[in-house]
Amino acid sequence: MNLAVNGTAHELESGPLTSLLDVLREELGITSPKAGCEQGGCGACTVLVDGEPRRSCLLPVGAVGEAEITTVEGLGTPENLAAVQQAFTHHYAAQCGFCTSGLMMAAHAYVAHGGTADQDAIAEALGGHVCRCTGYVKIIAAVAAVARGDSFDLATTAASPGMTNIGGVR
Amino acid sequence: MKAVGARLPRYDGVEHVTGRTTFVDDVRVPGTLWVKALRSPVHRADITGLDTSAAESMPGVHAIVSWKDVPLLEYGHLAALGIPADEPLLAKDDVRYKGQPIAVVAAEDEATAQAAVEAIKLDLNEQPALLDVRKAFDSDAPVIHQWGNWYNHFEAEMDRRQIRKGDIDWAFEHADTIVQGVYRPAAIEHVPLETQVCQVVPEANGRLTIYSCTQALYFSMGVVAAHLQLPLNRLKFVGGTVGGGFGGKVDTATETMCSLLALKSGRPVKWRWTREEEFLCSSTRAPWHMEIADAVTKDGWILGRKMLTLHDSGAYARFSPYGLTKHSFHHTGAYTIPNLAFDGYAVFTNRVPTTAMRGFGVTSISFATETHMSRVADVLGLDPYEVRLKNANRIGDTSPNRVVYTDPSTVPTIQAIAEAMGHELPADYRTMTRHTREGELLPEHLVAQVGNPEDH
Repeated sequence: MNLAVNGTAHELESGPLTSLLDVLREELGITSPKAGCEQGGCGACTVLVDGEPRRSCLLPVGAVGEAEITTVEGLGTPENLAAVQQAFTHHYAAQCGFCTSGLMMAAHAYVAHGGTADQDAIAEALGGHVCRCTGYVKIIAAVAAVARGDSFDLATTAASPGMTNIGGVR
Repeated sequence: MKAVGARLPRYDGVEHVTGRTTFVDDVRVPGTLWVKALRSPVHRADITGLDTSAAESMPGVHAIVSWKDVPLLEYGHLAALGIPADEPLLAKDDVRYKGQPIAVVAAEDEATAQAAVEAIKLDLNEQPALLDVRKAFDSDAPVIHQWGNWYNHFEAEMDRRQIRKGDIDWAFEHADTIVQGVYRPAAIEHVPLETQVCQVVPEANGRLTIYSCTQALYFSMGVVAAHLQLPLNRLKFVGGTVGGGFGGKVDTATETMCSLLALKSGRPVKWRWTREEEFLCSSTRAPWHMEIADAVTKDGWILGRKMLTLHDSGAYARFSPYGLTKHSFHHTGAYTIPNLAFDGYAVFTNRVPTTAMRGFGVTSISFATETHMSRVADVLGLDPYEVRLKNANRIGDTSPNRVVYTDPSTVPTIQAIAEAMGHELPADYRTMTRHTREGELLPEHLVAQVGNPEDH
């Protein structure tokens, strides 16, 4: 059985009922998709199958067929980051980083399909992803920035959206 | 000081967004065995038999570890704070919560390890469980812990965290009204996206390399060294990359058992909890039961507070006495109440042991106090902002444990909330400051508690 991942063809030893997540992580050593729940509930294992976000933990590799798989490793390199990767860095949208790969794949697909900077639409597109660190505000800001076509200065971090200086506590 | 106020890029940002951050589950060591645990299927039982021989002889099973294999079976997480040990690493005579580990298996793959777990012969004599803190003190309640149903090793062997300050009887004799409330926040699971995970590699030089998702690396190192009775220089901990913790990765949940399996099998081992295990067996934020009675005057002063707290510790002590101590020190919230009678118990139940989670001990009392402040205002027919500002901590006021406040922020915080909510405050409340009490804000009942911040 063959599998095309990030533009490279692989011949697999795993059986067809092995989850795509296990094939990527355990056989091919592509570790950006994470085993967060292994029951389709958290979104950390999300990869693109012919450009569509899919839960790799629920997808038997035999069902992938000729489709092209894209993971974060296929988006960009540290020297040449994709827009969604730049946005997540600049907007501090990754905190512990464990849910980040899955969220970026969903965000990348959302923008590629013409998604706008509308907050509700972004929230709907990312609705199947759980992040326990950020509270989602910065993630949505990052995706909106990509949708707007912002450029990103990676030497700084963006100001937090929606935050006011509560206070006068001196 | 170039960093202060600057918007610096995070040092691990690019690693995160390129998927190159190495979490424990991403470490690849050839020849690694998978670990699975035999866990208690019931809330409480005596263990009458444990036979691992059939499981040990299964093909692909390399090691099984139970209580007999642990050099020091009981070690207290907070031994350094004087909290004695009460919890075995692996259950020996009895199980006290559903999901408690009894034995761990290392095998060639996950399915073999699980099959071996199911081949272990476990005999249990189930006992009645205690699941409600309110029933722990009943004369017919089952006694579920070697120390009784609540922790009894506070200083001077006290069986509770007790605070007495001022003259509580005077406060209740001079109150216009008593305002009572009961507050019961539930347990909360941390739900880190990365479940508990550990990889241990036995090295040729006799050391163990331990890839850990712990939030407290040197703390976990001490716990493993104590259970294994090994010097620290035999343990090389690799950590610092945590896929979400929020307090739930302060307990040393996997490292010690994986180390024992690596030593016994001579092979690298890895244990990654399933999401189901994480929900059912990992520690949680504690549920609390809090009863408050405040002696209040009709113009909104709180003269005194009586409070009873039952902290549901779950089956073992772990960090609970420490959490309850923090709770007791904060039991007036951000407000100054001069006359206090507080009793707090760390109660044992047959639920999973509870642990750290973001401000543990304090979030519970913040919830109770803030709800109660609004209740006091409601009962008296006063503005809840004004009641808060009147009783707010000021410079020179003293905490329940008699610390003089030098930097309290209650007043500006409440004023900022009022402003953000569009709530109009009267001029004297709008211009109130946090400086030392005087005039109308220093009534007779608050005089004696004022300390000198210069002495602090």
